[in-house]
Amino acid sequence: MVHCDVNICVGCKTCEVTCSSFHFGAVSPALSRIRVAKLEEIGIDMAVACLSCLEKSCLVCPTDALSVGEKGEIILDAELCNACELCIDACRVGAVGFYDGLPLFCDLCEGAILCVSTCPRGALSYREGEEISLEAFQQSEGGASQRRALYADVQAEPVREGWQNGVRVDS
Amino acid sequence: MSIYQGNCLRVDLTGHEVGRGKTPDNGIGARTWNSVTLLRELEPGIDPLGPDNILCIGVGPLVGSKMIATCRFIASAKSPLTGYLGDSGARGFFAAEMRWSGHDQIVFTGASDRWVYLFIDNDRVEIRDASHLVGMDITQTTVALHDELRDPDLQVAAIGPAGENLVRYSIISCNLARAAGRTGMGAVMGSKKLKAIVIHGDRPVKPADPERFEKACAQFHSDLVGHKDFEPRRRYGTTMIMDRLAEMGVLPAFHYRSTQFENLDKVNGIALRRDHIVKEKSCYNCNVHCSRYNYTHYGEGEGPEYEALAAYTVKCGNSDLELAVGVSNAVNRLGIDCITTGEVIAWLMECRHEGVISDADIDGIDLSWGSRDALLRLPELIARREGIGDLLAQGTKRAAETFGPEAQKLTAEVKGLELFSADPRGIKGYALMNAINSRGGDHYRGEPMIELTGDEDRAMRRVGYREAAHRLEETGKGALVNYAEHLGILSDSMTICKNISNCMDLVDFDLAAEAYSGLLGREITHREMWDACSHVSQVERDFNLREGLHTEEDTLPARFLDQPIPDGPSQGTTIDIDRLVSDYYKEKGWDR
Repeated sequence: MVHCDVNICVGCKTCEVTCSSFHFGAVSPALSRIRVAKLEEIGIDMAVACLSCLEKSCLVCPTDALSVGEKGEIILDAELCNACELCIDACRVGAVGFYDGLPLFCDLCEGAILCVSTCPRGALSYREGEEISLEAFQQSEGGASQRRALYADVQAEPVREGWQNGVRVDS
Repeated sequence: MSIYQGNCLRVDLTGHEVGRGKTPDNGIGARTWNSVTLLRELEPGIDPLGPDNILCIGVGPLVGSKMIATCRFIASAKSPLTGYLGDSGARGFFAAEMRWSGHDQIVFTGASDRWVYLFIDNDRVEIRDASHLVGMDITQTTVALHDELRDPDLQVAAIGPAGENLVRYSIISCNLARAAGRTGMGAVMGSKKLKAIVIHGDRPVKPADPERFEKACAQFHSDLVGHKDFEPRRRYGTTMIMDRLAEMGVLPAFHYRSTQFENLDKVNGIALRRDHIVKEKSCYNCNVHCSRYNYTHYGEGEGPEYEALAAYTVKCGNSDLELAVGVSNAVNRLGIDCITTGEVIAWLMECRHEGVISDADIDGIDLSWGSRDALLRLPELIARREGIGDLLAQGTKRAAETFGPEAQKLTAEVKGLELFSADPRGIKGYALMNAINSRGGDHYRGEPMIELTGDEDRAMRRVGYREAAHRLEETGKGALVNYAEHLGILSDSMTICKNISNCMDLVDFDLAAEAYSGLLGREITHREMWDACSHVSQVERDFNLREGLHTEEDTLPARFLDQPIPDGPSQGTTIDIDRLVSDYYKEKGWDR
């Protein structure tokens, strides 16, 4: 899974540019499998991609178009997908995109994991085999962007607490 | 032949009707289209705050592509502050979203009879009720729209209470604190009862010649990260220049009465980062990340950049840095231009210092240098137009007319637009840029940064004069400013960050032509790009002449012409602005 350190991310969206360029040769966040949640009123930025969660909530697929790959990534069989978008609604952190009739899952760039290598701040890292529980986000409602923002908000709590206690950028 | 003609959304706010068309065909993006639209369509002599004004929002064709730092939109209209061409750009994330929505330019005409916001979701465009947003500041407005539309990824450009109340130097901001700050475009938006523009866009930007485009992007990226100012800008943003200006002796301390500030190390970019900055922030698809997020007892927010920082510290004689950061946050939320607001406060303090006005003239507010009372209360009064704020909302030129000739002698504005935070006497190219550019007293129109470098080879290559590399030289400054002006128009049209393109001198007409050629898949020459910018320079001059501009207005305030710099490394320097302006006219081929 691709992990974003919320302490480091500055919200430039280079990861979105890299992801959409690699997969489509074009740029738009709608084409990206990683999306940056920007909580501007509290100064927080955080990129969110598939976290290879233990729950694998997206596997609600009624046509069995989704399976789990060797590295925990979700593999889509486009032939089987009926574009019902249930997987998008099921993802607890809003990490499944949708473009041109198909859901978009982080495929680790066929092993290249370019968002990690091109992040200008080193905020992104690849954590092989790590799976986290998203049990706490079971009740997440709202659209994908709201779920990404909620996840980022929770991750940001210790960061904000630090600021309140006097932590500054060079501390 | 047209280089790039984009899609134009026409919004008639009187009839609440939306139409579609094309941008003007003789431009290369945002500012070129906006200025041509205003020259073609705006009736001369109209009230800038009436329904006849036209507000154009434009983005360039590279926005939303892989090319870094192409993150700006340009808002243009007749300025309520100057009465001439008004325009201003904002960075952040709004511009890219607008490009992905399939719109290159939005042209607002007429005025609504009730408060509305414009909602754009790709092809879907709706004029919606905004009565519930009235009175909200820019942060509140943005958060309210994200909440009610249940999508925090929506991009919002909004005005605050100042824009609603037609303060003549109101801003339009996206991402809470990314402002189209100068010349009062927020007041024009307010006069149309347009509270916000909300955009979602999905349409990919795809280069027609990917190989050529990628090559131009890669070259630009490598030049940027290898630039000597890359690291300082990442750490301090534009606040790094405060110490440089102090070393040159051009800080505007105590409203241009001195170039020295005793407590500089308490208020400079280093102190700001150490004491109040909690993280760095970025615009869309940039890797400099020169913005910073502050956290103070007065609240939190993005910034301040150099202009706000200098305005509320050295210019006002204030050594309380945290107070200055708090004022910057408040001014951003209220929606007023930080440069003009700083000028208003500092000018009042100087007027009081000189005995031209008393505290009693300003609602009893303490106007001593560095007054906390003035710094905290005046922005609120201005934005709400309460008490003395009603007069100060008109800008320093109009307000000074009320206070009389002695107050007028102390203002620092050109054509009604207040100057930046540097003393023009010690930086001749900047002085000339302030005197002649098409939006009035302003440095950012095109930064003649080469004169601060001493790099004679670069000056020779760019403008043909080795002397132009030195700030106190007058020779070659007409050519330098003409070049910087062209580069400014190019940047405002591509639409790329001027801190990178102009201040770091990292974009030229060759790179721009390569990027356009790669994006569009046909040969665009640097000469064509230059000519498009020359054309728009003339368009803007014609617009201003039509609105009654006289050549006598291409000058600086008398205080900078007849008094030398009093102290510091530039002590004794005066400026021969007539010679500089004549030199510039010669470059342009203008007789007036």
